[in-house]
Amino acid sequence: MNSKTLLYILKRLVLALVTVWVIITITFFVTRLVPGGPFQSEKAITPEAQAALEAKYGLDKPVFEQYLTYLKDIVTKFEFGPSLKQRGRDVIDIIGDGLGVSAILGLTAAAIAIVCGVLLGSVAALRRNKIIDKVIMVVTTAFVSMPSFIMGTLLLILFCVTIPILPANGALSGGLVLPIITLALYPTAYITRLTRSSMLDVLGQDYIRTAKAKGVSARSIIFKHALKNSLIPVITYCGPMLAYIVTGSLVVERIFAVNGIGRAFVSSITDRDYPLIMGTTIVLATLIVVMNLVSDILYKVVDPRIKLE
Amino acid sequence: MKKLVALFLAMAVMVCCFASCGGGKADLPTDSLSICIGSEPDTLDPALNSAVDGATMIVQMFSGLAKWSQDASGNAVIVADCAVELPAGVENADGTVTYTYTLKDGLKWSDGVALKASDFVFAWNRAASVELAADYGYMFDVIDGYADIWAEEPVEGAKLNVSAPDDKTIVVTLSNAVAYWNELLAFPTYFPVREDVVANESWATEAATYVCNGAYVMDAWTHDSVITLKKNANYHNADAVTMPELKCYLSDDANNMLTNFKNGAWPMIDDVPTAEIPALKTQYPDEFVVAGQIGTYYVCWNVNETILPAGSTLTGADKANAEAEIRNAIGLILDRNHIVNNVSQAGEIPASTFVPMGMTEEDGSEFYKNAGSSDSFNGYYDVATSAYEANYAAAVETLKKYYTYDEASGKFTNIPTLKYIYNTNDGHKAIAEYIQGAVAAIGINMTLTNQEWNTFLNTRKDGDYSVARNGWVADYNDPISFLDMWITNSGNNDVQFGKGAHAELAIYDLDLTAYGYDIKVEDGTWAETYDVLIAEIKACKDAATRYDLMHVAEDMIMSTGCITPIYYYTDIYMLDSRVEGFFSIPLGYKFFMYTTINND
Repeated sequence: MNSKTLLYILKRLVLALVTVWVIITITFFVTRLVPGGPFQSEKAITPEAQAALEAKYGLDKPVFEQYLTYLKDIVTKFEFGPSLKQRGRDVIDIIGDGLGVSAILGLTAAAIAIVCGVLLGSVAALRRNKIIDKVIMVVTTAFVSMPSFIMGTLLLILFCVTIPILPANGALSGGLVLPIITLALYPTAYITRLTRSSMLDVLGQDYIRTAKAKGVSARSIIFKHALKNSLIPVITYCGPMLAYIVTGSLVVERIFAVNGIGRAFVSSITDRDYPLIMGTTIVLATLIVVMNLVSDILYKVVDPRIKLE
Repeated sequence: MKKLVALFLAMAVMVCCFASCGGGKADLPTDSLSICIGSEPDTLDPALNSAVDGATMIVQMFSGLAKWSQDASGNAVIVADCAVELPAGVENADGTVTYTYTLKDGLKWSDGVALKASDFVFAWNRAASVELAADYGYMFDVIDGYADIWAEEPVEGAKLNVSAPDDKTIVVTLSNAVAYWNELLAFPTYFPVREDVVANESWATEAATYVCNGAYVMDAWTHDSVITLKKNANYHNADAVTMPELKCYLSDDANNMLTNFKNGAWPMIDDVPTAEIPALKTQYPDEFVVAGQIGTYYVCWNVNETILPAGSTLTGADKANAEAEIRNAIGLILDRNHIVNNVSQAGEIPASTFVPMGMTEEDGSEFYKNAGSSDSFNGYYDVATSAYEANYAAAVETLKKYYTYDEASGKFTNIPTLKYIYNTNDGHKAIAEYIQGAVAAIGINMTLTNQEWNTFLNTRKDGDYSVARNGWVADYNDPISFLDMWITNSGNNDVQFGKGAHAELAIYDLDLTAYGYDIKVEDGTWAETYDVLIAEIKACKDAATRYDLMHVAEDMIMSTGCITPIYYYTDIYMLDSRVEGFFSIPLGYKFFMYTTINND
């Protein structure tokens, strides 16, 4: 790794920080603009109680002052504040609880997607136009075009009601199997198709023919020459895939009642739980920004010809 | 390709086989009950909770001076719990009423520490305090001293008039007699908490620090996932608790709940998808339960939004009276039987009053049956299916007085477009669409807008609407909880009575001389009449008069036409028929401690 690469990474890191800051700022002010508030409920509390709560949480101060305090607390103390709705709990604890489960869900799904996707894609490319290739293409087309909430509901009906072999709730043992499968199906299908077309492209290249002509073994051609080069589009896709998994898990966690960060994120918005909205947004935004950065850097590792500038 | 088809067919056959032989459910465990009554509770601190599912959790774990129980005939009744008995109050010379309670012997907290009378005193003062600013802090406004705590200039060191002269005696003084005082004692906000426990602000967020005194203790709380309750050995009535363990799964997805009910994982779920209700009724006739609930689903009209035709010359009292008549007429166009039978379909009861079914008077009679002036039906109009045509015709006649009617098409031509808002929800949407269709039949154009819940609450509260979906569920069995919300300064006065232009409108009469009061107002404003009436009801000591006055109050709000009752709520849930000993009360609380499992 040369100094140019380092400089590039540094630049990207600074840019990532700026991105997160912009997201914080926009989210902060937009949430305050949305009508309603954290202390609103069907049965209205007395105006005096409302005022007392606003004073307690500093919501009676001007919005810009609240913003500055918020930024200061995050930067200097890494403090996300208390939840306004779940009284007695800190945002960082709520996120910590949820993120662990979501990470298991997301990372497993991503790993399955990459491993199965590359494998199936390669098989399809190498057995081009054979029956196995056709089956893979038909099935992946179906999965790519099916949104996760339909897939989730179908799996729920099939494996929890019709053939009740798996639990329908994330809290029960084995309860994460179906949500992981639901989350993994779309990216698996997508990576399969991506790998297949990119592999076919690579297999038609001159250097593959040269290798064949030189008598290199088929195994070596596939793994050493073809596969490595056909992975570049797959790596490009890893960033968006993570974004898909993160946003997809919001829906999937609900369908299977998984206690991930998704529910905290969604309910914080309906509750106008400002600190929790901010906390979850920052975490998810940082995650996506970082993953995009990582996938950019990975190009370089796979293909040294790519210049990071 | 043929092979593929064969494979698919084989799979399909397999799926069908599994489906058909999945009929017999596995036995339920007898020592643990899995239930789902809601999603992650916002709080399980008895003082802070204001949700019904939270209250259900709390009544399993806490024990107040009184509790809800079920009598031999299955009615919900209040009985003493921590208190030895619930004595009558003693009226003092200044009109205040003092109650003295004695605690049972040997009461303990779940951690073994003795429970003292002072714990109640502390808990009540805490729940009513400005520092806590609890949603239900106002539940203590019946106790002497509350007003000082929340005065605009708070009185230094103000406390509720409640004391513990010794470890077993609690003396509390109310500002005046309160008909529903015993119910308040069974209300979670009135449950005891211990000072050293709640000093930790996060005490109620995890099992390790959660100290309670009821049938169960919290064994584990995996947030957003499951709360496990175990029988509390230190509970004073532990022998009566038959279910050793409760697993309360947390989910807010009705489809997920139903799936878990169907596959036998959760024998009790508190919600089902609206669309599934008709199927569930036939599929699970014994397990789909419709229980009574004290609440009214209604449509509210913004009193300051005119609905007269463009160019109307009516002003002042004439205009207000005409609008009231029009709103009431439009209310009669709605076929409430059709709504409950074909739209909402959860066994609701068509409503003809705002104060719902289930509220009883001093003599035990139903408040709603005594409402209105007719002897032939209950309430303010007849909701019998047979009366619908007559109501409809009468409504059309009324509307003809104010709008142009086209005989040929049977439609009015100049009724202004009505804008109806509701919060995003399939059930509310279906009712909104029914109303839209029903009024369209007489030529009224109605637009529908749905808003996200929190925004919706804000819009309605600010009076930024013309017609809106609304609903109210009681916290205690007394009609005042449906009437005091309409005073001018109430935070729930969505109709905007006495606000804006309506503040100046002096058209209301209040004559209480017949009830022995020296109050007679003619052509008064809302504040001069309704607000005064509610204040008198709250101060009234004679139970019979008090109910009469509450009927006067309901007559007043119904005469404005701003409240169009639709139906009385029901509480629907699914309960596996092998679970015995379960009961719920019309306030929505559910009791699981006395359940047993019968797998036979």
